[in-house]
Amino acid sequence: MLHQADPGDPSSPSREQLLIAVARDRDQEAFRALFRHFAPRIKGYARQLGADDSAAEELVQDVMLTVWQRAETFNPALASAATWVFAIARNRRIDRARQERRPELRADDIAPFDDVPQPDHEVETARAASRLRTVIGELPPEQAEVLRLAYYEDKVHSEISAERGIPLGTVKTRLRLALVRLRRAIGGEA
Amino acid sequence: MTRTPILHPAPELLLDYAAGSLREVQALLVASHLAYCPDCRRQVADFEAFGGVLLEEVPAEPVSVGLLDAVMARLSEAPAPPPTPEPAHPIRSLLPGPLRRAVGAEPEALEWVRIVPGIHVSAWALSVGTASACLLRMGPGSRVPAHKHTDCEMLLVLKGGYSDEHGRYAVGDVAAYEPHTPHHAVGDRDGECLCLLVQDQPLVFTGPLGWLLNRGIRF
Repeated sequence: MLHQADPGDPSSPSREQLLIAVARDRDQEAFRALFRHFAPRIKGYARQLGADDSAAEELVQDVMLTVWQRAETFNPALASAATWVFAIARNRRIDRARQERRPELRADDIAPFDDVPQPDHEVETARAASRLRTVIGELPPEQAEVLRLAYYEDKVHSEISAERGIPLGTVKTRLRLALVRLRRAIGGEA
Repeated sequence: MTRTPILHPAPELLLDYAAGSLREVQALLVASHLAYCPDCRRQVADFEAFGGVLLEEVPAEPVSVGLLDAVMARLSEAPAPPPTPEPAHPIRSLLPGPLRRAVGAEPEALEWVRIVPGIHVSAWALSVGTASACLLRMGPGSRVPAHKHTDCEMLLVLKGGYSDEHGRYAVGDVAAYEPHTPHHAVGDRDGECLCLLVQDQPLVFTGPLGWLLNRGIRF
């Protein structure tokens, strides 16, 4: 059975396996394990973006219910569990906080021969995530900051530039340098 | 038709889109470009992976004691909605998916407003905050009148192509114009050109017909 995810225990299920158990078996215990892991992080994400305590918990509920309902759309060859949950949290937050729609590309919007994941892509996805984590830790602080601001301040780069008094050209240069490193870490060409 | 775009949205737009900070109007252009562009799809997927890493690292905030039970109680009451309730589209749409869903109709079914002979903008528009989007149609060889603009302007080519003093743009390409850079778009001679036009501020046309053109392009 897939229960507690303990990262220190190699026999414990990964969060990807937990999501698949929810999709396949409607496994409530697997869902509880996912909740215990992700709920405090989703709340932290919402708080970083300025939500108060109760709005943050509403977002948590909303996102976790969406996780339950949409689990079968999770594809471990395309994204890690954390990436998939991040995308849901981002979209639900845009809906709730900004009351805007998020224009999304759907799988059936693109020609079927595009983007076919390679067989070993699942392993690759996990490796890329760990490389990313390392690279983010090694970024010069000013580069890491312009990246994080996009995720945590709900501001586009021209707003970041205006508010911090950093010329837009400088913001873009920092960002591009950071992006080059990220691309290398992910294994793509810079 | 299978050409992949060579002119892309700026990398910071892709990041802002993936992070969720990009506003709806600009996000519509980016999402529409993604339908044509495997490279940018890969980039956005990478930025989302970065979002996943940040989610793992964000300072966790303990949730209320009863929250898990509250969610568990709602699992059964929340039936899974049908995955994507979009009707089948056996006919090839001219518009990429995100734009098709935003417009809700094919271009030929829309109302068009003539700006000058050969140049039309759609009555359909999406306005959020200071930004707005509409469709722009250039007849074969037609010229968009000279105009200056006070904020950013972007065009995504959906059909045909056009040129200006900076280059040539074909299906899937994105052209971005900084504020106060006059440019002169001319539709290709061999057919109509259809674009998604995104502006951050209303255009101000120059020239003797300026006041009229301004009325035509703002509704």
